[in-house]
Amino acid sequence: MKKRLLGLLLAVMVVFTFSFTACGGSDKSSDSDSDSKDSGKKTVNVWAWDETFNIKAVEEAKKVYSSDDYDVKVVTMSQDDIVQKLNTSLASGSTDGLPEIVLIEDYRIQGYLTSYPDAFADLSSIVDEDAFSPYKFAVNKVDDKIYGVPFDSGVTGFFYRTDYLGDAGYDDAALQDITWDEFLEIGKAVKEKTGHALFSLNPSDLGLVRAIMQSAGTWYNAEDGETITIDNNPALAYGINIYAQFLKDGIVEQVADWDGGVNAVQSGSVAGSPQGCWYSSTITGADDQSGKWRIAPLPKIANDAKATHSSSIGGAGWYVIKGLPGEENAIDFLDNTFASSTDLMATLATEIGLVSTMKAAADTAPYQEANEFYSGQKVLEDFSKLSTGVPEVNYGQNTYVIESVMAEYVQQIIDGKDVDKVLKEAQKQVEAQVAN
Amino acid sequence: MNKLSNAIKYVVLSIAAFVSIFPFLWMIMGTTNETRDIVSGKIKIGGKFLINMKTLFENDLDFPKALVNSAVIAVLTTVFALLLSSMAGYGFEIFKSKGRERIFNVMLLSMMVPFAAMMIPLYRMFTKLNQIQIGSVKLSTYFGINSLFVVIVPSVATAFLIFLFRQNIKAFPKDLVEAARIDGLGEWEIFARIYMPTAKNTYAAAAIITFMSSWNNYLWPLVALQSPEKRTVPLILSAMGASYTPDYGMMMCGIVIATLPIALIFFILQKQFVAGMMGSVKG
Repeated sequence: MKKRLLGLLLAVMVVFTFSFTACGGSDKSSDSDSDSKDSGKKTVNVWAWDETFNIKAVEEAKKVYSSDDYDVKVVTMSQDDIVQKLNTSLASGSTDGLPEIVLIEDYRIQGYLTSYPDAFADLSSIVDEDAFSPYKFAVNKVDDKIYGVPFDSGVTGFFYRTDYLGDAGYDDAALQDITWDEFLEIGKAVKEKTGHALFSLNPSDLGLVRAIMQSAGTWYNAEDGETITIDNNPALAYGINIYAQFLKDGIVEQVADWDGGVNAVQSGSVAGSPQGCWYSSTITGADDQSGKWRIAPLPKIANDAKATHSSSIGGAGWYVIKGLPGEENAIDFLDNTFASSTDLMATLATEIGLVSTMKAAADTAPYQEANEFYSGQKVLEDFSKLSTGVPEVNYGQNTYVIESVMAEYVQQIIDGKDVDKVLKEAQKQVEAQVAN
Repeated sequence: MNKLSNAIKYVVLSIAAFVSIFPFLWMIMGTTNETRDIVSGKIKIGGKFLINMKTLFENDLDFPKALVNSAVIAVLTTVFALLLSSMAGYGFEIFKSKGRERIFNVMLLSMMVPFAAMMIPLYRMFTKLNQIQIGSVKLSTYFGINSLFVVIVPSVATAFLIFLFRQNIKAFPKDLVEAARIDGLGEWEIFARIYMPTAKNTYAAAAIITFMSSWNNYLWPLVALQSPEKRTVPLILSAMGASYTPDYGMMMCGIVIATLPIALIFFILQKQFVAGMMGSVKG
């Protein structure tokens, strides 16, 4: 009896193996199909993350422009997965299986462009530098060659609840053209009068520090992308001080991760959130809060001549991998869509709420529309104006490496250590880390 | 006194049980709620189960196809790994040769090299394999990067499995092999008809370990599988979590479904698994 059972099991396995090879066979034919179907129509593959945002953008782009020579195929992957795959492929010097077009975050692209100078195609011929927000070109250029088509803006704003701030006696005018120190005072008053925290902070996420730093045109590194400038960086010191002060004074709600921040907003426990414009979809996700929100520019650094109200968190661009058979087609596709089409930008503004870095997008109809959710504010137009003023900063090759080191030192500052001393130490530690 | 120590025992065990069961409970509850309720930490049975399931299966990411891919890879890996490793373990113990202990030790050392260190060389190797052409047949058509083969082969022969089988065979009476030889059985037949039936427990333990690690394998399939229609379940789940506003209800459904096969196999082979591990340790 048992033997028979074993035999049966083996038989099942054999059948399975055969059906697998057969199915593998059919897979193969479908693969070559995509290369050769419809008399030699090629495929341009695109890798991007977020089905509700970037993927949708490519799908809309396909509607705007289609060529008889090739099809465009989008693959959804998490950003971390894209990074991992790119790293492995580029490090092993093989472009096998890489896509023609890939979306890369602004913080990461310089690392790729400098480590693998021959991996990306020169897009200078299709990207007009005057047509986009200038800050995007601080990261996608090497030696005056443009390697990327700028896509979404990460321009920052302070999303806030008009009802909570109103209860504390602040209206929209009170949030215009203020400094971070004044913002801190507003936070104290809101907490005192309404009991709500001003916003939520995850102490290991330094997005706010980054935003404050960039608003004055500085970064963890100098413009060359390599020299570390953590010590003697007044904007950084100011940013960390403010960051620590928010936590020390208990004005903000501490959360442990990203979802904690989302929950703080959607459950109505905090009065606002200083974030990149892409956070809007999360805010509007709580549809029961429609009409209760507005967006103000971020406060600026006090006593800094270069300080502005414009900054950026996140944002990405489209890049083309060099040396693949579909390279020409990929460039053709980007040329006719993300690099030039204001119609596409208008569609994306309504469909996914995209704040484009293309300057001409601001003249399209959707940007003039009042947004019901944000109490009738012309959100896109306001963001678009701020976006053109974002100071140009080279994010360099090590932003995420530096940040992982910095998180620990920021904790020391929150614990009350002297800022200048800690930053001096951090400078040394980061230099050692980056030298490896 | 005895009662008191018993009470303490139960309290400690209950806490431990709660800590290990809670994430699963959370996961299952999550399948019935929408993202907002999950994120805000509500523990309740909601009414969104069918909607979540629907979005999971009608998603562009093609979850059903990923289940098939994962199943094919995991089953084939398990079958081949069990066959190959048991043969190797058997060979190491039954047949005497000069350098065998040394080879075995070197093999064990390979267990200590982390996979991340081997990934890039491995990837290079497979892409080079892509370029080889025999006559008019390109190797890449069958074995290249992006074929399921690439994911299966590196995990077919693992030092740990060979070690497990060898330890188990140490307890296997060698006289049986001698007797079978005298009775005129060939070496292959001895392995297949004398050894294999007695080692069912070890096979069960090895099957669970291999199936589980193959089913959950993330890094190598991520790097090696290029086209989206070849992606496995962990890769799809990771892609789902990539949105700025992920649909957690849908993801929880995916995760529950991804957990089922392993749970099922474990419960079926539980007794043999424990016996198999014990047998190897005793030997």
